[in-house]
Amino acid sequence: MSTALTLTTGSDPDGGRVLTAVGEIDMSNAAAFAAALDDAVRPDGGPLVVDLTAVEYLDSAGLAVLFPHAERIALVASPLLEPLLTISGLADLTTVRSG
Amino acid sequence: MTGAGTDPRTRADVFAVDGEIGPDLARVDWSTHPLGQPDAWPQSLRTTVRILLSSRFPMWMAWGPELTFFCNAAYRRDTLGRKYPWALGRPANEVWAEIWADIGPRIDTVLRTGEATWDEGLLLFLERAGYREETYHTFSYSPLRDDDGTLVGMLCVVSEETERVIGERRMATLRDLGSDPSVIRTEQETLAFAGRQLGRNAHDLPFTLTYLFGDEGDARLAEATGFAAGHPAAPATLSLDDPDAVWPARAVTEGDLVRVPLDSAVRHDLPTGAWPDPPTEALLVPLRQQGGTPYGFLVAGLNRYRALDDGYRGFVELTAGHVATGIASARSYQAQQRRAEELAELDRAKTAFFSNISHEFRTPLTLIMGPVDELRGRLRDADGPVREELEVIRRNGLRLGKLVNSLLDFSRIEAGRMQARYQPVDLAAVTADLASVFRSAVERAGLTFEVDCPPLPEPVHIDPGMWEKVVLNLLSNALKFTFDGSVRVELRAEHGQAVLRVVDTGIGVAEEEMPRLFERFHRIENARSRSDEGSGIGLALVKELVTLHGGSITASSTVGRGTAFTVRLPFGYAHLPADAIAPAGSGRVAVSAEPFVQEALRWLPGDPTAEVVREDATPVEGPAPARPGQVPARVLVADDNADMREYLTRLLRSAGHRVRAVADGQEALEAARTHTPDLVVSDVMMPRLDGLQLVAALRADSRTAGTPVLLLSARAGEEAAIEGLEAGADDYLVKPFPAAELLARVRANVELARLRNHHARWRTALIDSLQEAFFVCDEAGAVVEINAAFTDILGYGPEDLPYLPVQPWWPDPEAEPEAHRQVSAAFSVLIGQTKGTYTVPVTHRDGHRLWIATAFNQVDDPDTGRRVIVGTFRDVTTEHYAVQRETALAGLSLRLSQAEDLADALHGVLDEMRKLWRATGVVTAVFGDTAGPDVTATDPLLQWDTLPDERRQELLALRDTPLLTPVATPAHGAGIALEHPDGTMALWIDLGEKRPFTEQDQTLLALLAGHVAQGLHRVHQIDQQRETALALQRAILGPAQLPAGFAVRYAPASLPLKVGGDWYDTVELPDGRIAIVVGDCVGHGLRAATVMGQLRSACRALLLQDASPAQTLMALDRFAALLPGAQCATVLCGVLDPASGRLRYSSAGHPPAIVVHPDGTSELLDQGRSRPLAVRTGRERPEAEVTVPARATLMLYTDGLVERRRQPLTAGIDRAVTAIQEGRGVPVEALATAVMDQLTPEAGYDDDVALLLYRHPGPLELDFPAESSRLAEVRTALRGWLDRCGLAPANSYNVLVAAGEACANAIEHGHRDSPGGRIRLRAAATADALRLSVTDSGHWRDRDRPSDPHRGRGLVLMRALMDSITVTPGATGTTVDMQARIIR
Repeated sequence: MSTALTLTTGSDPDGGRVLTAVGEIDMSNAAAFAAALDDAVRPDGGPLVVDLTAVEYLDSAGLAVLFPHAERIALVASPLLEPLLTISGLADLTTVRSG
Repeated sequence: MTGAGTDPRTRADVFAVDGEIGPDLARVDWSTHPLGQPDAWPQSLRTTVRILLSSRFPMWMAWGPELTFFCNAAYRRDTLGRKYPWALGRPANEVWAEIWADIGPRIDTVLRTGEATWDEGLLLFLERAGYREETYHTFSYSPLRDDDGTLVGMLCVVSEETERVIGERRMATLRDLGSDPSVIRTEQETLAFAGRQLGRNAHDLPFTLTYLFGDEGDARLAEATGFAAGHPAAPATLSLDDPDAVWPARAVTEGDLVRVPLDSAVRHDLPTGAWPDPPTEALLVPLRQQGGTPYGFLVAGLNRYRALDDGYRGFVELTAGHVATGIASARSYQAQQRRAEELAELDRAKTAFFSNISHEFRTPLTLIMGPVDELRGRLRDADGPVREELEVIRRNGLRLGKLVNSLLDFSRIEAGRMQARYQPVDLAAVTADLASVFRSAVERAGLTFEVDCPPLPEPVHIDPGMWEKVVLNLLSNALKFTFDGSVRVELRAEHGQAVLRVVDTGIGVAEEEMPRLFERFHRIENARSRSDEGSGIGLALVKELVTLHGGSITASSTVGRGTAFTVRLPFGYAHLPADAIAPAGSGRVAVSAEPFVQEALRWLPGDPTAEVVREDATPVEGPAPARPGQVPARVLVADDNADMREYLTRLLRSAGHRVRAVADGQEALEAARTHTPDLVVSDVMMPRLDGLQLVAALRADSRTAGTPVLLLSARAGEEAAIEGLEAGADDYLVKPFPAAELLARVRANVELARLRNHHARWRTALIDSLQEAFFVCDEAGAVVEINAAFTDILGYGPEDLPYLPVQPWWPDPEAEPEAHRQVSAAFSVLIGQTKGTYTVPVTHRDGHRLWIATAFNQVDDPDTGRRVIVGTFRDVTTEHYAVQRETALAGLSLRLSQAEDLADALHGVLDEMRKLWRATGVVTAVFGDTAGPDVTATDPLLQWDTLPDERRQELLALRDTPLLTPVATPAHGAGIALEHPDGTMALWIDLGEKRPFTEQDQTLLALLAGHVAQGLHRVHQIDQQRETALALQRAILGPAQLPAGFAVRYAPASLPLKVGGDWYDTVELPDGRIAIVVGDCVGHGLRAATVMGQLRSACRALLLQDASPAQTLMALDRFAALLPGAQCATVLCGVLDPASGRLRYSSAGHPPAIVVHPDGTSELLDQGRSRPLAVRTGRERPEAEVTVPARATLMLYTDGLVERRRQPLTAGIDRAVTAIQEGRGVPVEALATAVMDQLTPEAGYDDDVALLLYRHPGPLELDFPAESSRLAEVRTALRGWLDRCGLAPANSYNVLVAAGEACANAIEHGHRDSPGGRIRLRAAATADALRLSVTDSGHWRDRDRPSDPHRGRGLVLMRALMDSITVTPGATGTTVDMQARIIR
């Protein structure tokens, strides 16, 4: 049984694409997360907003999914995740907003 | 050099062969010389000159019409002197003008005849040294020819012999002076002889004058040579003080040589001696006397033709020396002559005196002996003392008479007035008769007496009185010097002579003494004899008497073997003066034999008439003559004369003294050393050790140095007295002496000595009164003084002092090396340190072992200033062995009490025994029920099978000996049999070295063995008890598995039991809660433990039934009421919810539990309290609730942990609180150890202690399969535990991610190749930190670790999120430890 994670792709009020994750991201479901991200990111389009506000757990497996897309995504995260994003260096490569 | 055309090379050819003379010859102006230039010289001349120059032998030559002079270097050196180089090239008659008269004619002859000349030792007066000199030469002139054979010159080969000729001349004079020294001359004759010899050498001594110094500052002419009588230069006397005297005699008295120029008027017309002219100088030489001013001086006129060199001066001095020696021997001979004449005169006077005085003696002697004999007859029935004194008078009268008669005989013989009457007698019968008189004396002396006198073929003419003296003197002499063996008298006819031999086996006579054996008054010094009495005239008289008979006496002797005297008398009477022959008469022995025998008897110790009480322990009895204020003195009398000894004894006793009398100095010395007397009265002349030697020996010994000595001697005169006093005697009394004077002197000396020695006597008395042994050692460690206790303890008395190290009481180094080493070490301490104490083993004189404790001090002897060591010791043998026993017993007891079990106890015992006896090993064998003996030894490897066969036999033999009876084998070891719980035990101590196992050792061994047997049984019993108890303990004490978060400790008060009356318990209840119980039964030990076990079980059962602490305790009340010993037990019972930390509890009289919060604040759980168990049963018990906060520590305990005597319980609780506060940062298990340690009293817990700790929450422990799908639930569990730990969400999230990464690592790397493995996560909290560990069971690959960027990111995260990370790879898996501080 994989860890509970719900991934939803949608648009924000400005028309930008938004990938919303709810639950926990670890090595057991990182692949699903990666697939959803690959799917949502468009090479020609504007930046993809990844909303992690409702993610209660994220470790290096999830970070590893995010890093390759760092230039084409913008992150929205809760204060709980912020230290992790900063420590991992991801916050330097992409924009992080508080959700 | 002006000659043109001169070729230097040619010149060089002629002169170049010599570097010394050649150049000077070349410098001669040959151009104007008749011989012309050298290059023009004929070949013969050139050759001759070259030969001359190159020769090392002295040569000169003359060549040509002027006889031109050439010479070589050797001639220049020896003869030519100052004439060089002037002489070169000059005519020879000019060069040797002064001797041309002598040599000219010789040269002429050579040139004329062509024949060589030879002259030996020709005297020539050369003027080569500035004066006409007497010289001697041996030379030859040989002709030299020209190239054509014409005689043109001569060559002279010469050697100068001046030294030889003059030396021989002087030697002859000295030899003559010293010739025939055996001829004894008067001084005048000596001088005349010397004068003749000096006069014969008129060359070196043209004249001599010999002056001798007179007594009045003048010098007298004793001899002159060369002078005619009355010459003014040879005055008959000279005044030493006259400055105008002809000869300056004063200067010579100092011993110096004086050189006098002969120029003044009086010295004109002096003798010329062998020379044409008189001397110009004289030498004055002292006639030296050894050790005194010169006898006089010699004036020697000096040969003017010789310089006064060392040789000449030495000759004159030697000459004077010879003259002086002659004077010395003449004068010494004269002095001897005078002395000899004086002695002869003295001897004559002495003989006359003896003769007269002896006659004078005889009259009073007769008047003494007559009345004495009469009195003896009349007082035949008188009492003992009177008769005894009469006997003394008579015996000594006889002795004096004998002496006087001998002296008289001598005087007669000397004066030629001996009136002998020679009768023909049967010499065998007469001699045997005489000898028989001595039989009883000889036999009483313990000697064999053999008389072998077979009849002779014809009578012998003797004077019977004289013969009697001969035989008796010889026998008396033999007896005196013979101490064992025999005296033999034999008579034989040999070679026409009667031969008497007296042979003894005595001390013999040393070879160097033999020549003087028959000399009058000669006594052999220091010979051991029965008596030192004697005048030394016996043998001399015998010789004289035998000589009168025309016979001879000889002696032969070997020291230590004996002496034989042989007297030979001719048969017949032709050798005797005709007018002295008498017809045969009575041959009976005359009465004069008695003095000899009486005297001899007195020498013998067992003489009944000489009953001297040598030891006189009691003061004289009867009418006490002691004077007021006079203390009787202990007087030691030493005299070899028994009568004198008796007389002195009687006399001194009559004055109240205690007397001990001995026969010689040696005996006196021994007696004085054993019991120091107050006074020693000693004769001077005694055998073995004489009086003077005795005094010296007494003074040399510190014990007797202060004892006064009064010397008695027959030798009168101041010198003898001074000699005695110088030797150290205190007083000197000349025999005969009035009795009153002796007593007065004795009293004075004793009193003086008492005054003088008061201090010393007090000291001696004090030291002797000491209970402890006292000794004084000198610097080298020799014992020089001891007291009575010393002798009592060690058995060594003062008589053998000093005792030099190594002292006889040291233990034998062979038999007891260790004891010897101890004493040796102690001795170094004694010698090397200023003070100290030591205890050492020593050996008593009778051989038994002692231990002495010694204390010593170095002090300076105030008398001598030397350092001495003063010490005391006491016999601590008993204490020593008692201490040894006590120590050994204590050691054994300790080992036995500490033993864990029987085997341990036995090992301990063997170890102690090995140490005690310093044994190489101790081995035991227990002969029990098992198949083979059970061996235990100090060597752990020893087994019965590996033991030496010999040792097995010993152990088997020991098994069968009576129990506790030691068996000691000399030089081996010792063993004993004793009872072991498993059977008989044989114990063997291997001493290894040759060491005796003494009686004390055996006693000790028996004692220890008994103790060991008991001890082993006790240990055995305890063993059994404990085994039971341990089984019980295991059954009842605590759960084997504690719930997580708990730590417990249990310490029973009484060892060796490991259970007590306290307990703790945890019970996991069905609803997930945990019941915790701590209880304390009354008392401890096994009884309390059994009560405790029942209560604990009951409590446990009750809790499972109804999880209410109060209800449980109330039920327990009822149970305890029925259980003996359970009343008043205290119990704290609680039920804890490990999830929330909620605790419900109730206390039955138990000390309150403690909660310490993470911030260090504490809380006592003092609610819910009530009475102890089974007190007022049936009443309700209260219950309280508390929540144990996150990371707080809960402690339950029994009072043994905190209760201390004389301290309130709160103090102990405070200490416990502090311990937990300090340890709230460490894991709970470590905290339990720390609490027990910190609260342990110095002497250990004296009550049972139970301790239970809980830290909330308990640690999280998860064990899950290594699958990523399990990670979510692991996170959930961890998140819940972190909540219970009270962590903030952000803090908690960090821990969660770090743990997640560690787990992901474990899944991805640890188990990639081994699926199905498991992962274990453990998390625990302390007050301020969390510890997590994740352990997998797999194996990481190398490449997994640093390089993988993805995983690398995981590690970076872990490090960033936690405070420390440690990865420990292992063979069975990898552990990641993480630690994070908790932020409040």
